[in-house]
Amino acid sequence: MKQEMQFKTIVAQYCEVKPEEMTNEMRFREDLGFSSLDFMSFLGELEDTFDVELEEEDALQVVTIGEALELLDRLVEE
Amino acid sequence: MLIRDILEESGKKFSDITAVKWLKKKEILERSYRELMENVQTIRAGLVKKGFDGKHIALIGNSSVEWIESYLGIITGKNVAVPLDAGLPAEDLTELINRSDAEALFLSPKESKLLDEILEKCSGLKSIWMLQEEAFSASDELSEKALRNDIKLSDLTEFLSEKADNSGDASGRPEKDDVATIIFTSGTTGKSKGVMLTQNNLAENVISVDYEAEPGSVLLSVLPIHHAFCLVMDWLKGFSLGATICINDSLLHMVRNMSVFKPGVMLMVPLMIETIYKRISGADPSVPKEVLAEKVFGGNLHTIFTGGAHLDPYYIDQFAEYGVEVLEGYGMSECSPVISSNTVKVHKPGSIGKPLSNVEISFDNGEILVKGSSVMSGYYKMPEETAETLKDGWLHTGDKGYMDEDGFLFINGRVKNLIILSNGENISPEEIENKLALGELVGEVIVTGENNGLTARIYPEQEVVQAKGFNEEQIREELQSFIDGYNKKQPTYRQITGLVVRKNPFIKSSTRKIKRQEVLIDEPAE
Repeated sequence: MKQEMQFKTIVAQYCEVKPEEMTNEMRFREDLGFSSLDFMSFLGELEDTFDVELEEEDALQVVTIGEALELLDRLVEE
Repeated sequence: MLIRDILEESGKKFSDITAVKWLKKKEILERSYRELMENVQTIRAGLVKKGFDGKHIALIGNSSVEWIESYLGIITGKNVAVPLDAGLPAEDLTELINRSDAEALFLSPKESKLLDEILEKCSGLKSIWMLQEEAFSASDELSEKALRNDIKLSDLTEFLSEKADNSGDASGRPEKDDVATIIFTSGTTGKSKGVMLTQNNLAENVISVDYEAEPGSVLLSVLPIHHAFCLVMDWLKGFSLGATICINDSLLHMVRNMSVFKPGVMLMVPLMIETIYKRISGADPSVPKEVLAEKVFGGNLHTIFTGGAHLDPYYIDQFAEYGVEVLEGYGMSECSPVISSNTVKVHKPGSIGKPLSNVEISFDNGEILVKGSSVMSGYYKMPEETAETLKDGWLHTGDKGYMDEDGFLFINGRVKNLIILSNGENISPEEIENKLALGELVGEVIVTGENNGLTARIYPEQEVVQAKGFNEEQIREELQSFIDGYNKKQPTYRQITGLVVRKNPFIKSSTRKIKRQEVLIDEPAE
């Protein structure tokens, strides 16, 4: 849960949506208005914050908040 | 003047200075100017030995020391380098390899998945070298296919192993008006155009950009290397100054790599500046600015040169508060690429600077025209497009602008249809519309640039809607899923991030062409 809040706080840096208003179905590009580079920069910040390593190709397939959280959970567990 | 002249001088003057640094996992590797020039010479001589002299040679891959050494090995001899965007779909890349008449290819190992299709479709190729210094082992299937199609598949060891018996440089020097490189750029007709730049075009641009730096100054290269702005201004200009050029391994790690390499100077497109600004402004306000600047910019960054799209001057003031000066310039591949730039000494926020010393500017109904020694010789095998763009020696930029009383240039509109995104990518809407039109539910489509992304406005094919009995929601779902499928195969800058499903057909002109200027007005996004 703490991880999810931290994750959403990072997301909120790049958009106008508040962490508490974010839902798993929201799409980064279409709903949150992330530019392609915002998304890359955000992924880099996830790596640094949670000390995980993302496979760029897999990470770029992520479309929604829910998918990103799922990927993060998996990597943190590993 | 040749690029080779500039490089040879740098090789002598800066031989012990580090020319390139890059990361391998977490280790920083480096190459000195002496080592770099040795490899460039070895590749140049090797190409001639293998029968490539005066040939077109393509390169596909992200920035790497192997990429730049191979590129320089090509253009310092009589061959012509054709850098291609590794992010393009395989079918586009094979088409460009064929259309540019490339007879050989340097391919990044990361892109080895392209080999199958390239071997299948690019019958003009005689050799492919993987951009790696270790032996490449191809699968049996690929090896057989290469053999069957008479294409030699190898790697850089083929060149570098011959370094020991380097019996002198057999390759001749190019002439200054020889084409050095062909760079593909979006065309307004939906077909990308190969900009032919000569040796002199490139060298004059390198010399005419007014920027001085101490040898060994650190520059972090974050832009795509196949773009003229990155290739000429990061790499060729950087080498001319004896700079140490550090390679950003991924856009995911741009900020982290600023801390790793601690650059003094960077070239960016406006999108990067906007993204970094979000990170700064989203940070805890109690953190002092100096601490934040060190964390985000690495501690040594003092100058960012930006170009490729317009930058809101707001960011110039904001970055100045962190001790970083942002200098905006203007250019296009057709001009090698810089046309004008703000400089450390002479700048005016909101302008795109004064024209370079080798550039003449004129205006035709507000359109900026450019003449000078960096203007391309034409588009490869496109005489009509060349004639439309180059008239009486004047290049028609497609941008509208004016010059103020102090000689600073400003841009205030566009003549052509291209969409310029803030990542500097020029998008031809027609090129994407042609692809989207293949969807069975797509009746009419227009692509527009909105909110710094691409929006597809689609009028559904009514016959399909009726045959399948789709309601509004189903139409939207079907179209979104079609667009998701399209997006998966495209580089991020060509992905569609907005969808407007139209209720009515587009308004057409008397020649039945869609009136583009009306599409945002008659049915705006909800």
